[in-house]
Amino acid sequence: MTELLECRDCGHRTFYEKHRCPECGGAEFDGVAAGTGELLSVTTVHVTPDGVREPNALGLAAFPGGANVVAQLDETLSIGDGVRLVGDRELRATDDGPLRGVRLAAVE
Amino acid sequence: MTAFATADDRSLLDLLLVAAERALDDADRDPADVDSVHVGNMAAEAFNRRSGLANALVGGLGMTGVTARRVENTSASGASAFQSAVAAVASGRSERALAVGGEKMSAADTATATEIISRITHDREYEQGVTLPSFGGLAAAAYLRETDADRRDLARVAVKNHANAYANECAQFNKRIDVGDVLASPSVASPLRLYDCCPTSDGAAAVVVEAGAAATDDPVTVAACESATGTHAVADRTDPLEIESVRVAGERAYDAAGFGADAIDLACIHDAFTILEWLEMEELGLAPEGRAWERTRDGLTDLDGELPVNPGGGLKARGHPLGATGISQVIELVWQLRGDLPDERAVDGASRGLAVNVAGFGNNAVCTLLEGDA
Repeated sequence: MTELLECRDCGHRTFYEKHRCPECGGAEFDGVAAGTGELLSVTTVHVTPDGVREPNALGLAAFPGGANVVAQLDETLSIGDGVRLVGDRELRATDDGPLRGVRLAAVE
Repeated sequence: MTAFATADDRSLLDLLLVAAERALDDADRDPADVDSVHVGNMAAEAFNRRSGLANALVGGLGMTGVTARRVENTSASGASAFQSAVAAVASGRSERALAVGGEKMSAADTATATEIISRITHDREYEQGVTLPSFGGLAAAAYLRETDADRRDLARVAVKNHANAYANECAQFNKRIDVGDVLASPSVASPLRLYDCCPTSDGAAAVVVEAGAAATDDPVTVAACESATGTHAVADRTDPLEIESVRVAGERAYDAAGFGADAIDLACIHDAFTILEWLEMEELGLAPEGRAWERTRDGLTDLDGELPVNPGGGLKARGHPLGATGISQVIELVWQLRGDLPDERAVDGASRGLAVNVAGFGNNAVCTLLEGDA
């Protein structure tokens, strides 16, 4: 699956969709595979909103092309580990049904 | 300002009215002397089912014919309302402005409050269940790994801020704690524990801003009030220890004021989490990059240190009623610069103070520099 957005004009990558590229102002993005990233930080959250797993292990990972992602950990991981985005996972329950998306998992 | 509290029985509107009346008293002005009102509040609709705050407030003060508006900038709504008031006076559109900020968070239980606050995030962050403390945990884990700071140093930030709030009549917590208390408190977002995190609070704060010769014989001057946005999604920053909005707001404020970090005698830093006190000090040039923790360990940020930080207790111990916080920081600086405070909680000989109020985990920051006569 494609997990990151790449600016068609300058190649800047982000996980967080937006109308305009913050680097060049471009308005068109292509979906690209995230590839292998590195875990920069991890936290285990013990106070979570309704519908979110508790505890909620989260990681911050850096992917090639300058895109960083904060996402739930799919397994136990440590800072420095190589990671990939895996989906599609049920991330949180809401009144309108579950929100689904990607998690961080170890590189196979 | 009102004393910040875990739960205040009064309505949000009453809190705003009390704070506004106190500010007018302090400035020796009547409501009729004010021609613009700037109300800082994040989420009255969600917390209190109250809309139309600014108009309700001016109505309560018996004012008609003034310019009034609410200013929303999440947890920096207070400083943004203050910036709006300063801009109104500086531009000449307003002769005398009243900035009032407030929040009444106790009306929601913790899960609801956590949900309201986590709604400020990007949709891709929200779906992951990310909360504000989550970002604090990620930043703290990275900082402790990249520097020689240890978990106890982080706890010392909370210990200091609780000590500073001990004699502050307006603080939510008048309770000293020690490092052991912090380390024994429940984990919130590892490595952060409960005592690393600011509470939810009820409270309001207000100030009067006017041009030229002031009514009081001991006025404090607004040397600068500047703001800057950062990225909305926190992970869109390549360095997890960077808060660009704070750095840029600080640079703009120093430029506008004509003095820099070296001239600052005391600072009110947005310590929603202990780690933020260090990151923001570093972004503002109040400590070298990766070294703010040494200032804490060496006591340089204590009330009697080289650069006292959060002399009123900060968000950690004074409390954090979202929309009130930025204005309560300005009030703390005013009290310190005027020398109004009892010796036990006064910073000696301070003439220039800095306040930084941050929206979200760095979405937006407002930096204010004040100068006293001393």
